[in-house]
Amino acid sequence: MPKAPADSYQSKVKKPDDFDAFWDGVMGQASAVALEPEMVPDPLRTAEDVETFQIFYTSIDHVRVAAWYCRPTRRAQRAPAIMLLPGYQMDPPIPKEWARKGYAALSVAPRGKLRSNRQFNPGYPNLLTHNVVDRHTYAYRGFYVDTWRGIDFLLSRPEVDPARIGVTGSSQGGGLTVTTAAMRPEVRAASAGAPYLCGFMDAVELTHTYPYEEINDYLRLHPERRAEVEETLAYFDGISFADRITCPIIVNIGLQDNVCPPETGYALFERIGAADKRLYPYDGHGHDAGRSRHTAVVDAFFARHLLGREVSR
Amino acid sequence: MSEPTPAAVRDYWQETLAALARYPARPEIEPLPLRSTLFAQLFGVRLTSLGPYRLFGYLSIPAGDGPFPAIYYAPKYQSVLEIIPQGTANLQRSRYVTFSLAGRGQRNADAPYAAMFPGLLTDGIDSVASYVFRSIVADSVRGLEFLLTRPEVYPARVVVAGNDLALMTAASTPGATHVVATPALFYKTAALAPKSQAYPLEEINDYLRAHPSRAEFVRRTLAHCDLLGFAPRVTAATLLMAGAPGSVLDGAALQPLAAALRGPVTVYESQQSLYKDGLYAERWMATQCGIADVQSILPQHWRD
Repeated sequence: MPKAPADSYQSKVKKPDDFDAFWDGVMGQASAVALEPEMVPDPLRTAEDVETFQIFYTSIDHVRVAAWYCRPTRRAQRAPAIMLLPGYQMDPPIPKEWARKGYAALSVAPRGKLRSNRQFNPGYPNLLTHNVVDRHTYAYRGFYVDTWRGIDFLLSRPEVDPARIGVTGSSQGGGLTVTTAAMRPEVRAASAGAPYLCGFMDAVELTHTYPYEEINDYLRLHPERRAEVEETLAYFDGISFADRITCPIIVNIGLQDNVCPPETGYALFERIGAADKRLYPYDGHGHDAGRSRHTAVVDAFFARHLLGREVSR
Repeated sequence: MSEPTPAAVRDYWQETLAALARYPARPEIEPLPLRSTLFAQLFGVRLTSLGPYRLFGYLSIPAGDGPFPAIYYAPKYQSVLEIIPQGTANLQRSRYVTFSLAGRGQRNADAPYAAMFPGLLTDGIDSVASYVFRSIVADSVRGLEFLLTRPEVYPARVVVAGNDLALMTAASTPGATHVVATPALFYKTAALAPKSQAYPLEEINDYLRAHPSRAEFVRRTLAHCDLLGFAPRVTAATLLMAGAPGSVLDGAALQPLAAALRGPVTVYESQQSLYKDGLYAERWMATQCGIADVQSILPQHWRD
């Protein structure tokens, strides 16, 4: 077994002085765009116990974003909600299993993903470095906002209890969980697995695997642009967002993660501002970050914070 | 409606491959400097498959004098086409020729047909003639045929890696010396799908819930695609990646498949760790391909 990485790793990420002003500006631009939510029943994906809908809403730059929405057929007047955020390469899943646990569940396809790629489609690989020299047009500016607008969709639903909204995801979904919990105070609980988008410039030295390798590819071809790349990424790094998180949060990492280096997970966790936070490092696990053992932890965490139930494990 | 006979299934696939053979591949190969390194050069490849339909793949050639062992990454069940699988050390490309192919519907091969995920598994499934996987198997075969034309490839060490398509491809055309397969789509699907609520098998359940009158047609189509029908034609050494014990496709469930394969078979049961499972597969491929220093081409966090 490889030696586990040191938990005292020092990230290079430096939060820009105007970080909050930048994102306040972006949020201001986004809030000027009407959400225009559309909810289309999907009978093919609806089962006896779960109703499934295709969702569409408008995000910053007037990009139309798709999502899947599932809710329990039998539910209380106001249900807790979970927003599920996707990995870098995965196609956003239909979140039936979350509805079966009693949640209204939204699975967002940010711009560029399948079903949200008509207006914006840099492709994979490529998304990670699309316009990376300019924070005002970098791909993840809109991508992040698309996920935050998912919270607005949930708040627009009469069956959702606005005081019981959680966010979860793994890999890129873990990174997006961090940014969403940081930027949307309506999030009451968050669970981030194997967080990507955290410690970009650390990761490209710690590992040489895709997707982070896209940055190394870009810098190999354009070494003169390194300073601009580093400047942009500091605004988008989950570690820069972390001190804004105040809700209860759990983070799980795999100590042999070959995609998102565990060192960056430790660095992220150290910067999280919430008082109620807990890290679950799994030795002997890679990018799964101990999923087979950790799923029960996540279920119990959300049951406690959103369902008001203590679940024995 | 009765189950198709083995002879009918064989005829179906022979006709498919004969139809594929009527279209020359006509490859176009373009260098991609952004993804090329000192140790490997990357190319985008466009080639024709059944239909006719133009496909896309990523071909990576190591620097230095070949020939090299090769890994063919057959089309995955996702919209994204990767150069090499996420998390694989980029240095893998220094030792193997790699070729990853987008089957029709995946990104870069999604015009005029853009597949949906979920959705692809049941596209045209109520007719064996129209089922999209008839064409996707042909796509995958065409990809292996193309790879084998490359002079950089050492033909005695050609690994086909992927899901069910890896086995289907190795059975359908000569050239695969090794297979790493993770069955997920076409092994006893009609029987196993009702035992799962997880996608992609849930697509079958969704479809039959919406169209119960088509159940026999679906069963017949799936019978044409079942891995048990392909297995007797697989002579390559095979690593079967099974699910964790107790899962729908665990080692015990795959035993009939393992027994039906003609070449030597290793069944590996998942330890529910992408590190342990991935490391096993990387080491197996390296050993089979005569690569002694596998440590040097593992991801940093997997090295001893």
